[in-house]
Amino acid sequence: MRRLFPSPDSLRPRAPFSRWDLVVIPGILVLLSLLTVALEGATQPFGPRSPDLTVSLEPVYLPYYSLRSLLRMLLAILLSLSFTFVYGSIAAKVPRSERVLIALLDFLQSLPILGFLTASTAIFVGLFRGSLFGLEAASIFAIFTSQVWNMTFSFYSALKTVPKELVEAAAMLRLSPWQRLWKLEVPYAMPGLVWNAMMSVSGGWFFVVASEVISVAGREREQYLPGVGSYIALAIQQADVRAMIWAGISLFLLVLLYDQLFFRPVVAWAEKFRLEQSGAANTARSWVLTLLQRARLTQRIARLPAALWEWLWLCSARFSRVGSALEGRLTRRRRERLADLGFNLGLAVASLSLLGVLLSYLFGPGLGFQGGRMLQPNPNLNRNFSPELARRFASLGIAPGADRTVWLSQLCAASQGGQVVREEMRTLLHEPEVGAPANLVEACSRPLAPTGKVAWPEVWEVLKYGLCTMLRVSAMVLLAACLWTPIGVYVGLRPTVAQWAQPLAQFGAAFPANLLFPLFVVALANLRLNPEFWLSPLMVLGTQWYLLFNVVAAAMTLPNDLKEAARMHGLSGWAWWRRLVLPATFPALVTGGITAAGGSWNASIVAERVSWGSTTLVATGLGAYIAHWSTGAFNPHVGLGMLVMGLLVLAYNRLLWQPLYRLAEERYRLD
Amino acid sequence: MQSILSATHLTKSFSTPEGRPFTVLDDIDLELKEGEIVALLGRSGSGKSTLLRCLSGLVRPSWGEVRYRGQRVKGPMPGMAMVFQNFALFPWLTVQQNVELGLEAMGVPAPQRRRRALEVIDLIGLDGFEKAFPKELSGGMRQRVGFARALVTNPDILFMDEPFSALDVLTAESLRDELLELWSERRIPTRSILLVTHNIEEAVLLADRILVLSANPGRLMAEVTVPLPYPRKREHPVFVERVEQVYRILTTRPGLEQPPAEAIGIGHRLPRAPIGALEGLLERVAEGPGFGREDLSKLAGEMQLEVDELFPLLDAAELLGLAVVQEGDIRLSPLGQRFAAASSNTRKKIFAERMLLSVPLVGHIHRVLQTRPNGRAPEERFVRELEDYMPTEEALAVLAIAIDWGRYAELFEYDYNAGVLYGEGAPSPGT
Repeated sequence: MRRLFPSPDSLRPRAPFSRWDLVVIPGILVLLSLLTVALEGATQPFGPRSPDLTVSLEPVYLPYYSLRSLLRMLLAILLSLSFTFVYGSIAAKVPRSERVLIALLDFLQSLPILGFLTASTAIFVGLFRGSLFGLEAASIFAIFTSQVWNMTFSFYSALKTVPKELVEAAAMLRLSPWQRLWKLEVPYAMPGLVWNAMMSVSGGWFFVVASEVISVAGREREQYLPGVGSYIALAIQQADVRAMIWAGISLFLLVLLYDQLFFRPVVAWAEKFRLEQSGAANTARSWVLTLLQRARLTQRIARLPAALWEWLWLCSARFSRVGSALEGRLTRRRRERLADLGFNLGLAVASLSLLGVLLSYLFGPGLGFQGGRMLQPNPNLNRNFSPELARRFASLGIAPGADRTVWLSQLCAASQGGQVVREEMRTLLHEPEVGAPANLVEACSRPLAPTGKVAWPEVWEVLKYGLCTMLRVSAMVLLAACLWTPIGVYVGLRPTVAQWAQPLAQFGAAFPANLLFPLFVVALANLRLNPEFWLSPLMVLGTQWYLLFNVVAAAMTLPNDLKEAARMHGLSGWAWWRRLVLPATFPALVTGGITAAGGSWNASIVAERVSWGSTTLVATGLGAYIAHWSTGAFNPHVGLGMLVMGLLVLAYNRLLWQPLYRLAEERYRLD
Repeated sequence: MQSILSATHLTKSFSTPEGRPFTVLDDIDLELKEGEIVALLGRSGSGKSTLLRCLSGLVRPSWGEVRYRGQRVKGPMPGMAMVFQNFALFPWLTVQQNVELGLEAMGVPAPQRRRRALEVIDLIGLDGFEKAFPKELSGGMRQRVGFARALVTNPDILFMDEPFSALDVLTAESLRDELLELWSERRIPTRSILLVTHNIEEAVLLADRILVLSANPGRLMAEVTVPLPYPRKREHPVFVERVEQVYRILTTRPGLEQPPAEAIGIGHRLPRAPIGALEGLLERVAEGPGFGREDLSKLAGEMQLEVDELFPLLDAAELLGLAVVQEGDIRLSPLGQRFAAASSNTRKKIFAERMLLSVPLVGHIHRVLQTRPNGRAPEERFVRELEDYMPTEEALAVLAIAIDWGRYAELFEYDYNAGVLYGEGAPSPGT
């Protein structure tokens, strides 16, 4: 049927601008200029002779600092996205590669993120020699490592679960791999990717605050990159309450802006990629997206690259070439089996040699043994890496290392095995911050590990720390679950309450909890509470929200007929909980628990060792151990801590969460 | 007439986890000629969908070859298009973008793409919906998009994988009529259509030739030609006769008059027959006007059962000796008569007796559970045994049927959480 009348769309005069553009055009200009300012600041020269970087606690500078932090977040998420596309595609498409890549990803995501900071600083400073961007890159990399893994996982698993019929349709239409990626795979992965990116950014704020203060090898003092995180770190160091309040306000605004201007529009836009063929009930909305979609200028800008896109598109087209079959002629051939064997063999050799390199890096010559005897830990006596103590050691003829380390072996050498201890040395060794052994003679009589290396007894010690942290994480997540499940169910069953509670919980997850740590320090110090016990809640302070909003979502989607059936049968009180609510919210509880526990492990590095001004509280645990050694250059102690934490988290997830998740999937899913 | 597509000695087999071949399609020769619609018909397990995928190049056969206009098919060829059972539309693309997709792969520039897509959208009766997303459309409209996307490339040969089975009866009817109209009036350049269906009437309505496949492994069993002009009337005597004929073919076992009770072993693929439906069918036949004998085509029409649903029920009834299926008719055995009239408890008893006698897998499970001191065995044990005969997926499906039947007959029980089978009376693993 031909249309007799032109559509109303084509009758309207096509002015280049609409009234929405009045808002959009200035908005774009402001954004561009802000970006320029931030980039300029981030690429200033920075060499060995440049003065130490520092921040000012004047609130006037906060907007600029926020801008710089925001830029770091933006670059980190872009980096994460690119990594996700490349890594996820390779893992899903290249045969056999997934066996290595996915196992690696699993391990990497359980590694403590902040540990990467010490590892990467040296590399990036060397890479961008003479520019501040080296330090910026180190900070961005730390944020990147906090965001990327779950995004990559989600993309990879989406690629593996593209519905078979759609894959067949794409093959039948003879789409080229490039076309298939953009028309099928990326759109299919989009909702999961956006959701995971949002989770990642929420977690990212926490690490922005923790990753802007960087120690650089060869510099006396730590470098404070201009940013909100540095501002907070300095405020904590100087115990400046006013500055902390300012930082809190600006972070609140930042998170709000990021949510409104960036994520809400993306989430609303990603709605259209949902696979459900029916119209979903509650679709996300965003005023920014509406604004952008109605403004003509942005529509024009969006159409600019269309020509290039079309060109790329047609270049990759198959024209009249034959498409590729989805399934080969024979399912298994001998040659393939041989290749398989070779691959596995290569893999085994590679991982064994990697293990060898790792062990010799950690333990040094003889892998922790000398003359058949086990080497003993050779601890750093300058436990706080304080410059003052380093100077005093130097005056005694014991030269501290580049990052102000003073090893027990050095002391033994200077005192001839602990036999000759001069008066000044004795007073120095009795300082509370110096970790000298009580019986120096005995400690020196045993063979010590080479300086900076780890000894086997230390490994057991670290494992013990790890178990302490595991206990804390489990107890706190359990406690948070007990606390938030009733509240979440209460909220979720009341749609009007849930409407404003849900964004609030998401906001809570994004707001960096480390800002509130000093409150705890002050309270614990004043009430003289045991930090071993009372520092634990800090670990779930930022991650408990995942439990809350997952439970709220589950309670909101509790089917009406189940609720009615429960009412008909007079279920009430405990029976109502046990038979209806707990089973129905169990999958959400597990999903939230996995996220919360993972976040808590990571947070332990910041939460087991907190300070405010001159007060520092430490709880025994793996996080405190890593935080303790994470000053200055990357060293085997940090390496050991990260390795142990990585393996523990891996085991923890495999042995505890995975069975729970499977149970939830198989038994308690409501569909 | 010129041949468009041909397959010679086409065989497709997969390997079981044990490495043994598991043949799905066995030595199939067929030819598609210009100007004809061919329907592939068979019970579930006959590999008709796999055959379609082999012919279209989506899947390479293990043996033999497929040629399209003389060229060897190594992947989907230009000139081929497919319509899918569940539409396979890209939900994030509008109707028009979905339709244009077929042209994009061919490198057609944007303006031509747009023009051509609008033409086809017009042809298929979708105009006004160009900007709609698939989720806004009804099932019938979605399948129209599926047709438009296939037809936009002017395909020479059109493959259809049960294209109407996800639609309701009325919508399917009208869409079929429209397709036939386009076809017989030559408004589409397509020269041949290959259709997979499990609806016998649909096959007779549409096809010039019906190829009937046997199950396990799939072989070409018979060919039925339908020499009727379009549009075909269901009341036409030839139509009725052809439907009857197809039923007769499907219910006749090649070479064997009786069900081979002694030949089946543990690896026999149990028919996917839900107990409730089986009871319903037997009751209906027993109480019907034929007193235990019923014409299958009539029964299927009345109970609205398609081949995929009806034949597993018949197979199960025959396997258990409750009925005999012959010449397109079902006849209850005396035992079947008793079963249909019995109370629920007696039925279970009959069922249990018959199963132990004639379903080796159930008998085997029963025996194993009885010999075990605690009367329990993990399901993996049986899955592994079944994997000697079939791929894992199939083994799980077969075991699920055995468990369903065994539970009904109260021969054994199954704990879902633990994945453990246990004898009647043995303590449940959960307690």
